[in-house]
This record gives sequence, structure tokens and C-alpha cells, in this order.
Amino acid sequence: MERPASVVKELVENAIDAGANSVRVEVEAGGRRLIRVTDDGSGMSHDDALLAFERHATSKLRTADDLLSISTLGFRGEALPSIAAVCRLVLETRAAEEEDGTRVEFAGGKLLGVKPAGLPLGTCISVGDLFYCVPARRKFLKSDTTELGHVASVVTHYALAHPGKRFELRTPTQDIVNVAPVETLAERVYQVFGRQALDELIEVPVTSGPIRAAITEAELAPGEESLGISVSGYVSRPEVQRPNRNGIYIFINRRLVRDRLILHAITEAYRNVIPPGVFPASLLFLDLPCEEVDVNVHPSKIEVRFRHQQFVHDFARDAVRAALTRARPIASFPSSRPVVETLVETRTATEAHSAAAAAGTAPESIAASGNDAHAAALPALIPDGWAGPISEGAATQGGSEEFALTGHPLRAEATRFAFPMEQVSESDITRQIHIVPPSDFNQHAGTAQEYHSAAGHEVFAAPSGTGDGDPLGELKPLGQVNASYIIAVNGEGLWIVDQHVAHERVLFEQHLRARREGPLTGQRLLMPIVVELSPRQLSTVERISEELLANGFEVAPIGPRTVAIHEAPAAITAADAERLLLEILDGVEREDQAISIETLQGKIAASTSCHAAIKVNTPLDAPKMEWLLAELARTECPMSCPHGRPIVLRYSLREIEKAFKRI
Amino acid sequence: MEFSVDKQEFLRELNLTQGVVERKTTIPILSNLLCEAKGNTLTITATDLELTIRTSCDAKVKKEGAGTIPAKKLLELVRLLPDGEIKFKLLDNHWVQVVSDRKTYKLVGMSKENFPSVPATPHVLVALPAGLISNMIAKTSFAISMEESRYTLSGAKLLLKPDAVSIVATDGHRLALVEADHKFAGLNAEVGVLVPKKAMAELKNLAAEGAEDAEIEFSQDESNLFFRTGKRLLISRKLTGQFPNYEAVLPRDNNKIIALDRDELNDALRRVSQLADSRSRAVKMAFTQEGVELSASSPEYGEAREIIEKPYKGDPITVGFNATYMLDFLAAAVQGLISVELKDEQSAGQLRPLGDDKFRYRYVIMPMRI
Repeated sequence: MERPASVVKELVENAIDAGANSVRVEVEAGGRRLIRVTDDGSGMSHDDALLAFERHATSKLRTADDLLSISTLGFRGEALPSIAAVCRLVLETRAAEEEDGTRVEFAGGKLLGVKPAGLPLGTCISVGDLFYCVPARRKFLKSDTTELGHVASVVTHYALAHPGKRFELRTPTQDIVNVAPVETLAERVYQVFGRQALDELIEVPVTSGPIRAAITEAELAPGEESLGISVSGYVSRPEVQRPNRNGIYIFINRRLVRDRLILHAITEAYRNVIPPGVFPASLLFLDLPCEEVDVNVHPSKIEVRFRHQQFVHDFARDAVRAALTRARPIASFPSSRPVVETLVETRTATEAHSAAAAAGTAPESIAASGNDAHAAALPALIPDGWAGPISEGAATQGGSEEFALTGHPLRAEATRFAFPMEQVSESDITRQIHIVPPSDFNQHAGTAQEYHSAAGHEVFAAPSGTGDGDPLGELKPLGQVNASYIIAVNGEGLWIVDQHVAHERVLFEQHLRARREGPLTGQRLLMPIVVELSPRQLSTVERISEELLANGFEVAPIGPRTVAIHEAPAAITAADAERLLLEILDGVEREDQAISIETLQGKIAASTSCHAAIKVNTPLDAPKMEWLLAELARTECPMSCPHGRPIVLRYSLREIEKAFKRI
Repeated sequence: MEFSVDKQEFLRELNLTQGVVERKTTIPILSNLLCEAKGNTLTITATDLELTIRTSCDAKVKKEGAGTIPAKKLLELVRLLPDGEIKFKLLDNHWVQVVSDRKTYKLVGMSKENFPSVPATPHVLVALPAGLISNMIAKTSFAISMEESRYTLSGAKLLLKPDAVSIVATDGHRLALVEADHKFAGLNAEVGVLVPKKAMAELKNLAAEGAEDAEIEFSQDESNLFFRTGKRLLISRKLTGQFPNYEAVLPRDNNKIIALDRDELNDALRRVSQLADSRSRAVKMAFTQEGVELSASSPEYGEAREIIEKPYKGDPITVGFNATYMLDFLAAAVQGLISVELKDEQSAGQLRPLGDDKFRYRYVIMPMRI
């Protein structure tokens, strides 16, 4: 036990193991003064209640073999005695089969008294004056709000892992978490984080399959019985980029773990979708038979071991990747996009405070106030009909319903996207936006105005979210900004496409497809290019020379430190060959371990397509833009380039209407 | 400064300067023209610092002087004015008043002091025949690389010998070399210079503007090249760097040779390349007993196969080429037979037009591994 949150964790786990449907946590002074966890689980008999405080006494394992398939969160029988040793503890419990309940009192590990008492079914443990007898620990406690934040984080995670149970977290003045039982995880995420957060996430539908030694092995025959693995949950959209892995939450059999294997699987799934060095956020649930996973490998049970590591890794990766590919999430304009920073992150004290505003039990009120710091400014109780009128000040400050999850106030740009049609004079338009076809000045202005009115018309004609097909497929290009970004429209709004990365994505997928079908064409060079390499690069060249050759690169060592490029991929210019080779070597070296052939192919494809793609500052005519957009729509992953930058931005009709104060 | 010029004459000179005027207005003065009135001529100068064009036309000069005028606006305006005399007058604040008949315009100019100075032309080294040079540029400039790197230069090499002139251009995948015999009076040693791609294009324009038998006077100083034809002067920054040793890559023992009609080969290649991979543009060329077989395939579009019948007795060979490279050459070559000379799948192929008696034209193209 090191802080209030660890006490809460053990007690909540016990409650869940006891089959409780409702868990209430009450905390005073950040858990220093009081932690009370009340559940409606199975309770304990008189004898058990006393036995529970013996070290290594547990009712969760019946036989030694149970250790091999642990299905409960706790199993070591260490938590209660450890807690009892450092605080004043009162245990009140009644099992279903007993008429009287039991009340046990401990202080600093000493039994003070046992009394029968009339109690409801279930268990209630009150931990008071935590660490009163362990000054060393007490000294290292942080402020009340920080400790409360940690407690809130623990409760939130268990709430997410068990949507079917009620969770409450209270302080004397605040109701921090209060979620009613719901059917699905989506509803629970909504309850805890609000609608905006849900919009930031992509659902990973329940994907299950029998466990095999490796993903490449044939599936079992239908009749054959096998134990299954299933993956579900939520992962963030690619534009959500976190500087660390703290936003990745992995639950294995409903237990929160930090497992490097699954972390790696998620990172792999996002390869070529988000840039290297940034990480997604996720709530990923893996359920697999208890025999397949050993949870008893870490003192705090935050790591696990899998029996079929590789398979679990590949299965999780493929499930996440499939969800990402299917969802085709499109970035919207950054200024109007809430940041998921606060999502699933350990709640900070301020957030915990502000969340207190969500005193109402209705999900709307939680969604509305969420974690936002500004929510504190709102009246504590918001009626269910949140959409109703609110004070002007609150609306502008928080940005009405947009503010659910923003960690910081929305910036003003959100409502003032400066589309040049409005503010810029016509001559500027002709210069900045190259509307196709350009013939003379007057026509420019005319087209611009036509476009303007056409867009205005669509406001009324097309309700947002039309078209059941791929929205990208219906894009109509209008022109380019600065000869670099394609402006296009469809029923959903205004889109900006970065032509270089869009082409890069198209080429990347073409390249990979072509490579899988066979070796790629290489163009021999008139004069071999001699490149000096470091010894490490040289050994990398030797290691991957076969794959380089298959990608159209013929590189031969000609000296102790030099190689000659005789042949380079056909799509790139001779001048680029040297840079491309160095880039590939650099990318390969950054991977620590030996990289898989698939990753290598991906890396080479990404570098090659980047060099072959049309650059920015390249004027394109209308048919070329149409071609590019159509090709982009056909790609598997049109939202981000192989290096992870976004390809398209969408200024949705709704945002446009909002900016023009139509809604 | 105050002068008047004839519209048509002025417009022709203005048009020549447009390729040089800076499009991106990074340095504002570069989007202006320098106009200098002196004696009875008006001299116009445009520059983007890499390339400078100076030209002149007759003018009635009332008051000598100089000023700068925005190049694009001036051209648009002069184009729209009716034929006849246009009067220019420098006003205060560097504005320039343009009057044609009863139409008056004032253009915002900039101080002429800011306009980059033009280097003085050194003594003439040699006179190049304009028609010949323009023809040679057309045969090579397409092979100039777009980008500069250690191994390719974004320019072509102009090589002058006492009795011959040649231009070489390469982008690292192919090389175009054209030579012509011409006696250069007063040239004793070899002179080789690197001419930037854009300068090549402008030089071709200048050469085409002049009469068929006009001459281009060529000279150079340490950092610039000067080409003068009549009253027009083109100044280009010299490219620094080493042009690749092109003579080493010219094939010497290509022994599998077929001569094909240019149009026939051109048409066949254009058809077959329709179905070539859109990125690599790879087309296979096979020499067989029946003749030359051209084929291409792409997973997206399909396959193409054509045979150009031609007796061939050598060893069969199949080589892949970039169709675009071939077509570039065929478009520049004269009609008649083209000799296609190969060695093996890895070595450079060579194409030569056999019907060209004026130029020795060789095109070296590296194969692709398909």
C-alpha cells in the first residue's frame, strides 16, 4: 500500500470479485481521512471475516490448480491484512446465508473488536486515518486533490471495464463518478467521457477467433472445439496524437494491465497511419481463457504473460488495424477539434473537481460537463434538457456542447475560419485560389461567387452526413491554394487535400501491392552513384540487399566504406536515388530489433513513394485533381500518409453553418 | 525619363522578357522591368538574378533617364492598347505614366537604384549560327535533369571546338549528344560551358526570333555567360560543378543492331505504352528472328504486344526501356531510319537517326530490369 488509490484499487477489486452489481466509493480528504467502499456482493460469513485478515488467506482459490486459471482480480490474500496494518479499519459484512452481519474493527494491524450487527447484504469497508501509524508513507502523500485524482482514475478504469455495474465515487462535497449500469461499452464511455470523446474514438468491434499457434496457421475446422480470444474496445482516430503511451489502456480479462506485447501490437496497427514518435489513445479489451494468460508475474499484477504471445499480438494488431481501415476517419480543422488529451488520462485534480459539477445522474449532464475545466463555471445541476437555453456567458465560454472534453478552452479560430471568399478582395482571390479553368479575371470572380452561392445553397439542400458511400469518392475539386492544397467539396462540406501526401498514399499502396505480386522495375543508371556509408549502414545494406533488389535497387559494395547504386526504382529521378537509399537505411536502422520483411517493405514503399509523389507548389489541372481524389478514395487508408501526417481536412457543413451564425 | 514607342515593336520585345520576370514576388523589384531611354533607343532589362534579358527598340526620347515598371501589368496593358504610339513619362515617386491617344494610365514603379546591375559584356569569343544552335537545343534540352545533384546537373554542356560544336544533356538515366560541324573563326582551343536549363530555353527563343542566318555572339566572364543576337542580350549565371564524364558512358561495342522507321517505331511505342505501368512506363523490346517485339503490361490496365517486322540475324535479346525516354528522342529525331543498337540486358542502348546528314545525334538510354 503506498497511497489511497492503491487501497481503493484493492477494495474495488474485492467488490468486483464478490460479484457486486454496485460499488460505491466514498473518499474524504483525498483518502487520507476516510475511504469507504460499499458493495452489494456476496459478503462474508463471521469466520471468513476474521480469516480475511490473515496473510495469504483467500477465498478466491479453492484448489492449487486454480492458480493456473485465475479468473478473479485478486488471489494472493495479501490486500486486506496489508491495509489493516496501516490504518483504522472497520469491516461490516453480511453473507446471504447468515442472519446477522459481522462488524470487525482493526487499528494499526491489531484486532480491536468483533461484534455481530444488523447489516444489509454485502460488504462495507471503511479505512480511516490512512498511514496514521506509518509516518514515512504519510510524508510522501501528495496534496488531497492529487490523491483524489488518482482515486478517480482507478474508479474510472474499473467503471470502464465493467459497464454492467454501477460505480459511484463521492467526496463529502462532490459526486465525481456516478454511472448507472448500461448494456454496452459505448454507453459507458459516453457516461464517463461524453459524446465528444466518443467522436474522437473508433470502435473496435468485437473480433473473436480461436487461439492458434500463429496467425498464419489455418483456422480450425468448424467442428473442432477451441478456446477463443476476443478483442473489442475503442482506439483513437489518427489525428489524435499523444506524446507518450499513457493514453493506451489495455484490459485483459477486465484487468487493467500495461502489457508491452499489446502496446506493441497497437503501435504496429498504427504504423504508417500516425507518425513515428507519437502514440494513439485506446481502450482495448482482450478476453481470453484464463489458462491462456498468467497474471501472477508481477507484484502489482500490471504485467501478464500469454501462452501464445505471437498469436495474441498479431490478433490484436489485426483487429485494431481492421477497425482503423474500416472507419476511414477524416481529420477536421484542428482549431475546432477537441483534443483527447484528457480522455482516459489520469484525471488531474482540477478535472476531478470540475467533474463534480456533474452531480446529476442523467448521462447528459455528465456528458455536458465532462472533464472540462470550464464546466466548473456552470451551475452544478444541469437539467436533462441540456439543449435548452443556457446563459450566454457560459455558452460562449465553453462553446456550448463542443466543450465536453477539451482540456483547455476552445480557441477563437474555431468560429472564424478565414475562408478567403469572405474577407479578401477579389483580386486576392484570383491570386491565392487558382480556380480552374482560369481564363480571365472576370470569370474568376464569377466562379468564386458562383461557388459561394452554391455552397450557400447546399446549406439548405444537403443535410449533413448524406451519402452512404465513401464521402471521399464524391469529392469535386474546385482549385488549389498556393498550388499545394486541393480545395474540394461534397455534400459533407469543404475539404482540403494536401496533394503531396495524398499522392504519396496512393503510390504507397500501389507500390506495396505491386511488390507483393513480384519484384519491381528498376531503372539502371547511366553512371553508378557512389555513396559513402558508415560500417553500420553497410551492414544494413547487406542485410536487406535482397529486398532492396526486389524493390528496384541494385546496390553493390565497391570498397570498404562505399557502395555503388547501379539501379534505382523506376519512379524516382536519378538525383533522388542517393537520398532515398540513405533514407531507407536510416529508417531501417531506427528499428532496434530485426525487422520483419513486411515492415521493411512498408518502409521502402513509404520512402520511395514520398520521393515519387508530386510535390507541393505544383499547379494541377482539373482532370489531374479529379484523378488524384478518385485514386485517394480507392486507397485503404485515405486519412493519413505513410509517415502519419493527415491527408485531408474537412470543414463540415455544420461548422460552416456555425461560423456563419446560421445555427 | 520621357519617350514614346511604337506599340507593335515594343510589344515584341516585351514578350521576350516575360520568361525571365520573377513570378513569385520574393524580391519585388524582380517583377519589374528596367526601362532606360537614351539617344533614340529604349533598352528594357528583366532579370531573376539567374538569368537576365536585355533588349531594345527604337524610341523617340524626349528626356533621357530610367525607371522601372511592373512587368506583367505593362505587358497586359500594352497588349490591349490599339496600335500606334505609346508615350511614357516618369513621374514622382517612381510612378510611370502611360499615354496612348486619349487613354492615360499610371503604373506604380519602384526606384531604379534597387534594380540589380547588369554585368558588362566581355569581348566576343565566337559567333554561333543561330539556326544550328536552336536546332541542337531542341534535340537535347528534354534530357536535362530537373533537379541538381552530385551526378546530374540541371543544365547542358555546350562544347565548342575549332571545327565543331556539340551539346550534351543527361538526367542520369539517358543522355542526348548532338554534334555538328562548323568552322569557328578565331577559336583555337576547346571551350566547354554548362548552360542552365532555363537559359537553354531562352536561348532557343532568342535564336528562333532572329533571322535564319543570324549569329549569336558568345562570350563569358568568370561567373556569367553572354549570348547576344542583334540588339538582344541574354546573360546567364554559369552552372558550377563537374559535368559527368559522358564520353565514358557512350556505348562502343553494341552489336545487336536493327534499323527501324522512326514513325513506325514511334506509333508502336505510343500504342504499347498505353498499357505500361503508369509509374515506371516500362516497355519491353525484344529482338527476334521475326523482328522487334514491343510489349508492356500493368496489373491495373492490361497487356500490349506488337511486332514490327524486320529481318534480324543476330542473337535474340530482350531489354526493358522507359517508353517516355524513347518517345522523347523519337520526337526530336528526323524522319527516316533509326538505328537501335543494344548489347545486353544491363548495358546502355543507343539510338541514332540514320537519315540526319547535318547532325551527329546519339541518344544513350539505360535499360530497366523488369
